[in-house]
Amino acid sequence: MIIKGGIVYDPANGIYGEEMDLFVDQGRMAEQAKGEEIDARGLLVMPGGVDAHSHIAGKKVNTGRIMRPDDSRQGTQSRTSVCRPSTGYTVPNCYAMGYRYARMGYTTAFEAATPILEARHTHEELAEIPIIDKGALTLFGSNWQVMECVRDKDLSKLAAYVAWGLRAARGYGVKIVNPGGGEAWGFGGNVKGINDTVPGFDVTPAEIIRGLAKANEMLHLPHSIHLHFNNLGKPGNYTTAIETLDLLRDIKPSRMRQIVHVTHMQFSAYGGTSWRDFESKAPVIADYFNNHNHATMDMGQLLFGSATTMTADAPLEYGNARLTHNKWSNHDIELEESSGVVPMTYFRKMLVNAVQWAIGLELALLVKDPWKILMTTDSPNGSPFVNYPEVITLLMSKPKRDAEMATLHEQVPKRTTLAGIERELDWTDIAIMTRAAPARILGLQDKGHLGTGADGDVTVYNLRPEEVDASQDHALVKKALANALYTIKGGVVVSKEGQILATPPGRTFWVDAAVPPADADRLMLDLEDKFAKYYSIQLSNYAVQDAYLPHAKAIRAGLPVEPLPEVA
Amino acid sequence: MRTITITPREEFRISVEAENISSDKFASLNIEQIKSLAVWQGNRQKALSDLFAIEGDDAPATAEEITIRLLGDFSSVKRIAEGMTAGLVEVQGSVGMHAGNNMKGGLLSITGDADDWLAREMRGGKVVVMGDAGNYVGSGYRGEKCGMRGGEIEIKGSAGAYVGEHLCGGSISIGGNAGDFPGAANQGGTIFIGGSTYLPGAEMSKGAITVKGEAKVLPSFQKMEIVQIDGVDFQKYAGDLVDNGKGELLVGVGSS
Ligand SMILES: [Zn+2]
Repeated sequence: MIIKGGIVYDPANGIYGEEMDLFVDQGRMAEQAKGEEIDARGLLVMPGGVDAHSHIAGKKVNTGRIMRPDDSRQGTQSRTSVCRPSTGYTVPNCYAMGYRYARMGYTTAFEAATPILEARHTHEELAEIPIIDKGALTLFGSNWQVMECVRDKDLSKLAAYVAWGLRAARGYGVKIVNPGGGEAWGFGGNVKGINDTVPGFDVTPAEIIRGLAKANEMLHLPHSIHLHFNNLGKPGNYTTAIETLDLLRDIKPSRMRQIVHVTHMQFSAYGGTSWRDFESKAPVIADYFNNHNHATMDMGQLLFGSATTMTADAPLEYGNARLTHNKWSNHDIELEESSGVVPMTYFRKMLVNAVQWAIGLELALLVKDPWKILMTTDSPNGSPFVNYPEVITLLMSKPKRDAEMATLHEQVPKRTTLAGIERELDWTDIAIMTRAAPARILGLQDKGHLGTGADGDVTVYNLRPEEVDASQDHALVKKALANALYTIKGGVVVSKEGQILATPPGRTFWVDAAVPPADADRLMLDLEDKFAKYYSIQLSNYAVQDAYLPHAKAIRAGLPVEPLPEVA
Repeated sequence: MRTITITPREEFRISVEAENISSDKFASLNIEQIKSLAVWQGNRQKALSDLFAIEGDDAPATAEEITIRLLGDFSSVKRIAEGMTAGLVEVQGSVGMHAGNNMKGGLLSITGDADDWLAREMRGGKVVVMGDAGNYVGSGYRGEKCGMRGGEIEIKGSAGAYVGEHLCGGSISIGGNAGDFPGAANQGGTIFIGGSTYLPGAEMSKGAITVKGEAKVLPSFQKMEIVQIDGVDFQKYAGDLVDNGKGELLVGVGSS
């Protein structure tokens, strides 16, 4: 395939809006190729989009579907000769997940939180999501085995467990949600700071986070730890954010990447002592990221309208349910986690929501280096992912932000700095925040760029970057981003002008990290004991079998293998 | 005034989805165009005139000026007058499920009975049923937090269970008895039941429910004073206290 004459943004390879031809051969970017010609003359061309944090599969998403038949009725689309039926808005069915990402020009999305015990369910759904490549991060933050290893300061056993857990879950990376809080919630409590003790374990969230970060680097995992802070969603929590980031400054990365990826930063950049004096601390957080290089983040942008909150932070969801009187699902995952789901509507005229909306944008505009911040909505917590074009146009257009601000609660300019921010992101920034950076942060070497050998995932938008002024013509830009002219996945046109043309199955990435056999043996003694005493399931039935990943792509990592080539 | 008359050509053994039978859908169309509107019967798409005889004034008119007369048995025809904003749909017979759902204005009158989900999530207008109605009159459909928000529903006969579930506004009046749990999760509408019912107002936070006949009242309602309305004594209750509710429940005293 030849994609002719596009204005290409491939920041990972230092290409910032150059007219050039692209070639895809046997599913990969190539120097030369023959075959189908795509006319992209003068149009915006980028690598396929990569979403590093989205809730697309597994028990929480499905609980959302079960709780919200009202949501399922929205966004229904009949089957076509190519597509199965679509349903849902904040919690779409599996098919719609794939089609909707593909329409926007995305070709990869990672499920953000899977307990090992429920990983089989996650993979059953991932396997049904068409077109896009995917992976799932695995939850370790309130896990008994993790906390015991941390308490015993047995780092090599911890690393062995992380490797074993990733293998059992067919998981891609280490997700930590409100560490320790998931265990405390089993007793109706929570941890209130990083130095609180987790009941029954004599460890603190700080120790869990440091332990897992070190284990992560011992294993040379492609991705860093992926952290949802303690005290998330609470006024005044920006101090917890800074304290936690400071914990990790001295850890040496095993690869050219961050030590920690902080997810949905918006929910952790709050000032004030209560919802009454609630205000943005995004400038403080952005400053921190501008002055340090060990951490990256994603926005977790909130948009007005319907959302479904879902997280392993169960005490947070209890708070949400109390606040909104809405439906609430609460879930205990044995020795591993707890979780919750609550539907939510965000209102323009509600000051707290309006300030939250501004904080996400402030973060993205105040962090100078776009490689440090990804565009996300923590879909569907802040808003479903189909609204990414709205977020992107807000970042690219000051007039659009001003027009929106005029419809919000009048206190927003006092509680945030957004009104005074003139910066408008350009296509290079957007290509980084939605393609190059998420791929690099996840450690996906063949994603997010268009160099020879990369995956043949290319998006052509019906926009002329050299003519269109994204600041003024934001409506036009939003429309073009919502339905890519061409989404090409592995050299196949999967979507054209919003029409799905082909539905190849996507691959599922997981990380297979090797550890010294002696450590694995020591670990197994612990695990056999736990399964005999506590788990509701036999050890032999626990791990996800290969049959659940019909298109698996294992990435090797770990101790005895060669250190993997570093990401550029 | 433009009048259009619709008569079923047969007794439907497979139910029909006819959301296109509404004054809004007909407004800008002539009779030929109305005849070719789509309906689904089971898994087959058909033209309206395949299943119904249609006649009436040919010239398009605004929705307010339209009267649609449905003559015969429509008890297997669903979604009649869905989302209607104005005009009159007059049924001489019974209607199937979801009649008048999401109605925003106009009048839907039914001389026979109505099936389940009558006027669910209604926003405005009026629905009158001379016979009985099924379950979930004026309620929210599965998962919806808000049922009927405005308008008026009047059932001369009896109604099934869950009348006005998740009611957020408007008023519902049932001449006869109502099934279990009328006004469950009521958030601000009013319900009047001429006959008897069982466990009204569960989880109600606002609004009012009046039961003229007998009612088994949940233990989570607080007994208040006796009030008189039009010379009839009612026992007043406040609740539902499990939800910190500020709703008002009145149950007739005389009849028991
Ligand atoms: Zn998330």
